[in-house]
Amino acid sequence: MQTTFTEKQLQDPAIQRSNEILRNCVHCGFCTATCPTYQVLGDELDSPRGRIYLIKDMLENERVPDAKTVRHIDRCLSCLACMTTCPSGVHYMHLVDHAREYIEAKYKRPFSDRALRWVLARILPYPMRFRWALIGAKLGRPFRFLMPDARLKAMLDMAPRHIPPVSRNDDPQSFAPKGTPKKRVALMTGCAQKALNTDINDATIRLLTRLGCEVVVAEGAGCCGALTHHMGKTSDSHASAAANIKAWTREMDGDGLDAIVINTSGCGTTVKDYGHMFRNDALAAEAARVSSLAMDISELLVQLELPANDNKSELSVAYHAACSLQHGQKVTSHPKNLLKAAGFTVLEPADSHLCCGSAGTYNLMQPEISAQLKQRKVRTLEARNPDVIAAGNIGCMMQIGSGTDTPVVHTVELLDWATGGPEPRTLRDGMSGVPRLR
Amino acid sequence: MELPQPNPKVLARKRALLTRLQQVLPEDAVIHDEAETRVYECDALTAYKCPPMLAVLPSTTQQVSDVLRICHEEGVPVVPRGAGTSLAGGALPTADCVILGVARMNEVLEVDYDNRFIKIQTGRTNLSVTGAVEEEDFFYAPDPSSQLACAIAGNIAMNSGGAHCLKYGVTTNNLMGVTMVMMDGNVVEIGGAYLDAGGLDLLGVICGSEGQLGVVTEATLRILRKPEGARPVLMGFDDNEVAGQCVSDIIKSGILPVAIEFMDRLCIQACENFAHAGYPDCEALLIVEVEGSEAEIDGQLSKIIEIAKRHNPVELRESQSADESARIWLGRKSAFGAMGQINDYMCLDGTIPVSSLPFVLRRISELSEDYGLPVGNVFHAGDGNMHPLILFDANKPGDLEKCEAFGAEILKLCVDAGGCLTGEHGVGIEKRDLMNHQYAPQDLESQMAVKDVFDPSWLLNPAKVFPLNVSETRRMAAE
Amino acid sequence: MRPESEAELVEIVAGLNGPVRIVGGGTRGVIGPEPGLSVAGLSGITLYEPGALTLVARAGTPLTEIDAALEAEGQQLAFEPMDHRGLLGTTGEPTIGGVTAANISGPRRIQAGACRDFLLGVRYVDGCGQVIKNGGRVMKNVTGYDLVKLMAGSWGTLGVLTELSLKVLPKPEAQMTLAVEVANARAAVEVMSTALKSPYEVSGAAYDPANGQVLLRIEGFSESVAYRIDRLREILGGENIGLADSASRWADLRDVRAFHDHDGDVWRLSVKPSDAPDIAAQINADRILFDWGGGLIWALVPSGTDLRARLGGFQGHATLVRADVATMEDLGRFQPEDTTIQSLTKGIRQKFDPRCVFNPRLMG
Repeated sequence: MQTTFTEKQLQDPAIQRSNEILRNCVHCGFCTATCPTYQVLGDELDSPRGRIYLIKDMLENERVPDAKTVRHIDRCLSCLACMTTCPSGVHYMHLVDHAREYIEAKYKRPFSDRALRWVLARILPYPMRFRWALIGAKLGRPFRFLMPDARLKAMLDMAPRHIPPVSRNDDPQSFAPKGTPKKRVALMTGCAQKALNTDINDATIRLLTRLGCEVVVAEGAGCCGALTHHMGKTSDSHASAAANIKAWTREMDGDGLDAIVINTSGCGTTVKDYGHMFRNDALAAEAARVSSLAMDISELLVQLELPANDNKSELSVAYHAACSLQHGQKVTSHPKNLLKAAGFTVLEPADSHLCCGSAGTYNLMQPEISAQLKQRKVRTLEARNPDVIAAGNIGCMMQIGSGTDTPVVHTVELLDWATGGPEPRTLRDGMSGVPRLR
Repeated sequence: MELPQPNPKVLARKRALLTRLQQVLPEDAVIHDEAETRVYECDALTAYKCPPMLAVLPSTTQQVSDVLRICHEEGVPVVPRGAGTSLAGGALPTADCVILGVARMNEVLEVDYDNRFIKIQTGRTNLSVTGAVEEEDFFYAPDPSSQLACAIAGNIAMNSGGAHCLKYGVTTNNLMGVTMVMMDGNVVEIGGAYLDAGGLDLLGVICGSEGQLGVVTEATLRILRKPEGARPVLMGFDDNEVAGQCVSDIIKSGILPVAIEFMDRLCIQACENFAHAGYPDCEALLIVEVEGSEAEIDGQLSKIIEIAKRHNPVELRESQSADESARIWLGRKSAFGAMGQINDYMCLDGTIPVSSLPFVLRRISELSEDYGLPVGNVFHAGDGNMHPLILFDANKPGDLEKCEAFGAEILKLCVDAGGCLTGEHGVGIEKRDLMNHQYAPQDLESQMAVKDVFDPSWLLNPAKVFPLNVSETRRMAAE
Repeated sequence: MRPESEAELVEIVAGLNGPVRIVGGGTRGVIGPEPGLSVAGLSGITLYEPGALTLVARAGTPLTEIDAALEAEGQQLAFEPMDHRGLLGTTGEPTIGGVTAANISGPRRIQAGACRDFLLGVRYVDGCGQVIKNGGRVMKNVTGYDLVKLMAGSWGTLGVLTELSLKVLPKPEAQMTLAVEVANARAAVEVMSTALKSPYEVSGAAYDPANGQVLLRIEGFSESVAYRIDRLREILGGENIGLADSASRWADLRDVRAFHDHDGDVWRLSVKPSDAPDIAAQINADRILFDWGGGLIWALVPSGTDLRARLGGFQGHATLVRADVATMEDLGRFQPEDTTIQSLTKGIRQKFDPRCVFNPRLMG
C-alpha cells in the first residue's frame, strides 16, 4: 500500500518499522476471514485490514486518537491469526504494538478505563499481589451485583473457586536432572500462571528432569511483560523484560543455557520478540540472545527422547491450539505429535485457528466479545466428544474451563503423567477440584 | 481515475439521510464518523480510493430493502460491497454514496443434499459455503483464489471464476437462484432449486452485472459431491512459451484436467516463500490437477506426463500427500498477496485464446522492458485467463501512471489477440475506460439498456463498468 | 425473407414495418401468421480451434455440419441438444441458432450444463437493425453484462442471432448405462439422487415409468467407466443390468421418443427433483418421463389440459411444448411470471426490440 510518511517522520525508528509493515500490506482482505472479532462483529473496522487502515491514518496524520479508533484497536485480541493468513508477510503484531503505545501516550481514556488498566497493570504481573486479589475477589463475589461495570463483574468472575497454595518450586533454584544430563535449561515460571495453577510448573519440572534436563529457575526473572505491553504501557513492559533479560543473561554467561523454556505460550511469544522490542536499546544484543534461546516447552520436548510409555489410558484429547502458540510462534504440530507419541488419541476442533477469547486480559476488558468466542470454541471442542481438553496456555485453560465440564489440562501435565508422573489433578478430582472460572 | 462529481444536493442531505437510516438499522450498523468511513474507501485495489458518505451493515433482506428504498427516495447512490476483495475496484465508493456491506448476512438458510443445493445469505464467504457441506463430502465448485475471504455476493456480482472452473465452470454455471433487492426496495426471487429459467434468463444477466442491477441477498447454489481424490502434478519448464505449448497439447489430447495453472519465476519465488510448497526452481511452472479414484488419477496423469515429457520439462513431480497438495494450492491461491512481499502491484485479468499464450507472454515481457516495470505472471492457463501482475512502487511519483499505461497496453493486447479485458475479476473502475476498445458504442448501449430497466435512476454502483462519457447522459438525467 | 449475409439482415430488419417470425431450421415448433425471417442463409463454421475447445459458427449453420466437424476432432457439444422433429412432427434441419435461441439441452444438462452454459459469445441484430456483439470466444469473460445468457433461451424475442461461439468438450471415449428396476417414481428419484450424490459423475439420470427402469449413464475413459459403474452398483445394491451399447437409449430419451406416436399435448416441467413424484402424481398424465434425476418431467396429457391450473403453485416452471394453435394461444407456451419479473422482461424486450417486431407472440 502507498504510505505518506514524511522524511522527518521516518526518522523515528518506530514509524520506520510501521511504514515497512504498511508497505507490505496489499489490502487483499484475506486476514478478515480468520479474524475472530470480524467473525463476531462483521464490520471491517473490527478486522485486521480495518485496524491497519485506522493505524495508518492515525500515524500518518499524527492524529490524536479518537474514541472510536481506540475502541476498534482495543477490540483486537492480538491472537495474530491474521499473520498466519497473510500471504504478504505483514507483521501485524509489531504494528498493533506500536499503535497501542501511541494510543497510551496520546489518548486520554475515560477514568474507569484508566483505573481498570492501572489496577490490572499493578496486580497481574505480580504473583503475590494477584494471589491476594484472587482471594479478595473470591470473597467479593457475593457482591457481584453491586458492580457497575461489566468488566468489573468479569474480574470477579475470573477468580477461581480454588486458589492453590504457593508452590516453592517456583522459587529461584536449580533442579538436578535424573539420569544422564542432556541439557541445562531455564524455566520461566511466569506470573499470573503460578498464582492460578501451580501444577503446570511442577509437572514441567518433573518431566524435564526425568528427560535429563537440569532446570533452572533464574533469580530475578518474573513476568515477561506481555500484559502491560498489550496495554501499550511500554515502560512497564520493558522494565519486566529487562529484568528477565538480565536474569537469563547471568545464567547464559554463568553455567550456560541450552534453552529458555516457556510453558505459557502467551509469554513465549513476547520473550521471542525481546530482540525486536530492545532493538534500539543498550540491551539489544542480550535481548536478541534471549529471544534466540526462547522456546515453547513443546519445542524443547521434541528434541528430547520421550521414554517408551505404558500409557494405557486410551484417553481422547481435544487439543486446543493457543493463538500465541499457533499464530504467534507458529508451533502447530509439536504438541499434537507429542500427545500422540505419549499414547493419547488426539482430536482437533473445527475452526481451530480461531481464538477462544481469553487473550491475556481481553476477557476482562472485552467481556462480551470474549464470551461469544468462548461459546464458539467450547461448542467446537465438545463436538468432538473428548475425555479431556489440552492446551499450552493458562489463559486458554481458564477461559475454556469456565465454559465446559470436560476437564482442561496443560499439555505437559498429560505428558508428565504418561511418562511416570502423577495423574493430573483435574482428571483425578474432576473440574471441581481445580482452579477454574466460576 | 476519474470519478463523477459528488452531487451537492445529496451531500447536503447527509444528516437527514443518516437519521432515516438509523431508524431502520441497529446503531452499530450505520457508520458515519469520518475516521470510520475511511476504512471503507477502497477494496483490494488500493490505487483508487474515495471515502463514502456513509456505510451501512444490514443483517437481513428486509433491512437491505429498507436501506435501498430510503436511498432511492433520497436519490442517493449505493455501492454494494461483499468482502471488499475486488481487484478491479468493484466496491470503490463515490463521495456521495452509501456503502452497503453484506458481511453480516452470512447464514446458511437451507442445505439439501438430495437435491444438491445450498441456500445462503450472500455475505457468506466462498470457502465457508464449502465449509457448511464438507462434513457430507460436498463442495461448492467455483474457487476464486480469494475464496477464503471473498463473499458470494461479490462472486455473483463479478461472476467469479477460479482455478478449478476448467472443469466445474464459473459462478454463473453454479448459481441456481437469487433473492435480489431492487433499487426501489422491491424484493424479487429469481430461479431456485430447479434448473434453467422459465422465461428470459434474468439470473444469467444478474450474475456478472457488478452490483449495478440489484443487491443479491440470498443465493441458491449448486453443490457437488467431492471427487474420491485429487492430485496435482508440478511441471517445471525453462521457457514460458514451451509451457504454453504444453498446455495447448494437453487440452487437445482429450483429457480435461480440473485445473491447469501457470506461474513464472517471479511468482514461483514469492509463493514458495509464503507456502513452502516445494515448487521447482524454473522459469515456468504448471500445476495440473486431475481427480478421481487412485487408479483413475494414475491413468490420467500418465497420459498428461507423457505429453509433458515431449516438451523437455526440467522437473515433473506428482504430489505425494494431501498435505503437499494443500501447500501447492495454498501457494498458488496466495500468489497475488505473496507478490506484496516484493512491491505494490496491479493485477490484470485479460483472457486470450489458449493458442495465443506464447505470443502474448512474449509481448508482455517486451513491454515490461519498455516500461521498466517488472511483471509476474500467474494464471489459469487451461482457459487462457491471464493474470499479469505489474510491480510498481506506489510511493514513487509517476510509477502508478506508468503502471496504468502499461496495464492498458496489455489488456488491449488481449482483446486484439481475440480475447477480452477481464476473465473473472470484473470491469469495476479499473477497466472501465477500456471498454471502448472491446465494444462498439451500440454494444455498450445494449448493456446499459438492461441497467435502464433494473435501475432507471442509475443509482446502483455508479461510475463503474461503462466509460463515464458513455454513461453521462443517463447519469445526468437521473440526477 | 432469407438474407444471405448479416448486412442484408440488418437492412431487412431496419426496413420492417410489421412483426416477423424468426426461423432457423424451423424445427422447434414456433408457428404463427407472421412472415418468417429465416437465418438459414447465414451459415458456416467461421472458426474452430480444437486446442482451445472453441467453435464459432453462423446462426444458420446446420447442427449436422457442426456435429461432423466436432466428430472429426473427437469433440462434441456436451449439452446434448434435443431434436424436436419427431415430437413436433416438424421437418427441416435444426440449426445452431435455433438450439441457442431456445436454450435446448438434453440429458447431460444435469452434469455438464445447459446450452447457455456453453455459449461464449453472440452476435445479433436487435430490433432497431443494429449489429450487437456480446461475450467473445474465450472461455472466461466477464467484460460487461452477460447478454449472452440473456440471448440464450430468449426465443428470438430480443434479436436475430447471427453468429455464436461455443465451448466444446472432448467426446468421452466410452459410455455405459446402468438400468435399475424400481417400483415407482419415488423410488426412482431416490435411486437417481443416490447416484447423483455419488462422486462417480453420472452424466444422465432418467426414469421411464412405462418400463419401470431408471437409467444411469457414466462416460469417460474406458477403465474409469468400468470402475465407476462397479462402484455405483455397490452403493445402489439390488438388481441392475449394465447396458454397454446405450447411445440410442439416450438419444430416444433426449428426443422424448416415447411420445412420438401418441396424440395429446406435451408439457415440459422443470422442478425440484424431490418434488417430482408428487407433481407427477398430480399431473395424472397419459404418459410421463423423468430426466435430470427427476428435475425434468415430460408429460403427455389430453389436448387442451390446463396443466398449470391443475398443479397450482410449485417450485419451477411448466412449458407447453406441443399443442394445437388454440391451446397454445390460450394457455401460453411459457409459465406466467411474477409481476416484477414480468415488468423486467417487458422492459428488456422494449429496449431491445422497441417496435416489437420479433416473435411477438412468444414470452408475454
